[in-house]
Amino acid sequence: MIQTKPYEFMVKYTPQREWIEKRGIMLWLAFFFVELGAGAFIVSSVFGSLWGMFIGWFLCGVLGGGFHLLYLGHPFRFWRIILSHGWKTSWISRGLIFVGLFLILGAIHLILVQWASPVPGLLIAAGVFAFCTIVYVGFVMNYVNSIPLWNTPLLPVLYVILGIWGGLGVTLIALLATRDTAVVGSVEEWSRIFLLAFIFIVFIYLFSIRYQGPTGMTSVRQIVSGKWSPLFWVMVVVFGMVLPLGVALGSWLVGFAIPVGLLYLVVIFELLSDLALRYCILRYGLYAPLIPARI
Amino acid sequence: MRLGMLINLVKCVGCYACAIKCKQEHFLPPGIAWGRLLISETGIYPKVTKQLYPVLCSHCKEAPCVKACPTGATRKREDGIVWIDQDKCVGCRYCLIACPYQVRSYYSEEREYFPHQGPTEFEEMRKRLYPLQTGVVLKCTFCLERIDSGIKQGLKPGVDREATPACVIICPAKARYFGDLDDPGSEISSLIMEKRAVQLHPEYGTDPSVYYVIG
Repeated sequence: MIQTKPYEFMVKYTPQREWIEKRGIMLWLAFFFVELGAGAFIVSSVFGSLWGMFIGWFLCGVLGGGFHLLYLGHPFRFWRIILSHGWKTSWISRGLIFVGLFLILGAIHLILVQWASPVPGLLIAAGVFAFCTIVYVGFVMNYVNSIPLWNTPLLPVLYVILGIWGGLGVTLIALLATRDTAVVGSVEEWSRIFLLAFIFIVFIYLFSIRYQGPTGMTSVRQIVSGKWSPLFWVMVVVFGMVLPLGVALGSWLVGFAIPVGLLYLVVIFELLSDLALRYCILRYGLYAPLIPARI
Repeated sequence: MRLGMLINLVKCVGCYACAIKCKQEHFLPPGIAWGRLLISETGIYPKVTKQLYPVLCSHCKEAPCVKACPTGATRKREDGIVWIDQDKCVGCRYCLIACPYQVRSYYSEEREYFPHQGPTEFEEMRKRLYPLQTGVVLKCTFCLERIDSGIKQGLKPGVDREATPACVIICPAKARYFGDLDDPGSEISSLIMEKRAVQLHPEYGTDPSVYYVIG
């Protein structure tokens, strides 16, 4: 990574640190689990997996919410994010409202399905807020116009694809674990479609950032050839793209049924790849130097 | 009224007096600096250009930090000063990330200037006079305490010492000017026009209240 010494601060490309170093790691995990959980809830609700919906709710609420709170400097003041009027302009405030509504409506739906009869429309409302939950992280980062790697409309799109793709993986595991194999084939097919979308959007995203000026170019260069580049090439490209694509192609061309153990492995690799890509994006969010000034 | 600052880089000698005075004025702990001096060197010897830029919070008219803050802790006053209500800050650091000038600091934990040797008198005074919370974001306030108490006494910011930020008062080269940007008759407004002062990176669309004279 680019290291800036105190006397190089904002004179060279300066990486943001607050959202990836020390307690910033919590935010990286929080963003991952919140989106993964919301994605799993949406996909599981489409494929009718109650366990998948519950796991999604748990990942989003307990892990995502928990890591969010652990990250905050004053976690017991988090209610201010919802009750203040911050939602008018702040994407973090909007995001927390989306997460809160999704968790409340999702919990009511799950309770009603388990112990009573579901209320029509409740699942749709929960699904809408789950989708907003997936979308918000991209907009939180997209707002920062001084970090070119983040300030692109492709970032929210990338995060939506990551959220749904991860959700498909979690749903697949939930279906296999509960031996509810009727829709496993459909989930697998959708997972392959989103794998192709993931590969496409990652390369389009990195390619487009290269043309956003020297800061964006430096960010991309650091991702593909900097200190943490093995994370990108091994975790994102090999484990997240090549391996799942190889398994999918093998199954499609040769026609063999993918063993359950291999499916589990592919899903785990996909999730790790998602986590690694998010790390790279946060780690290499660079600010342009303030000086030498071209004013 | 929109309070602002003009820094004449032609006069600045890079003595760090502004940065040190700021630390002293607000009893800032180690690792926290509201005012900084950025130094850039370009070119190859013997043709080297050195640029000195004292930077501080620009109290932007279109402050991205104010919009980013999810709790309303970062606010803008009627006189244009952007300040942080420490009691409302949750420590999410979105404002810090959103600031293109990177002039905000996160005060994560209590730090001592001389670890394990107890607080100095300076640090004891901070606890009494200028208590800072941990887990919140801190930044330059344009010395709003001085401005407010000065205005109460009928003084004018930028004209009277007691109503003017400490970094402006301390500058030995008289490179800093402070005053009302909305008043076309103020010294700062006249100098901005006369010296063709510019804002730092106007392309971010923040309309900073800190101007620079570059030559």
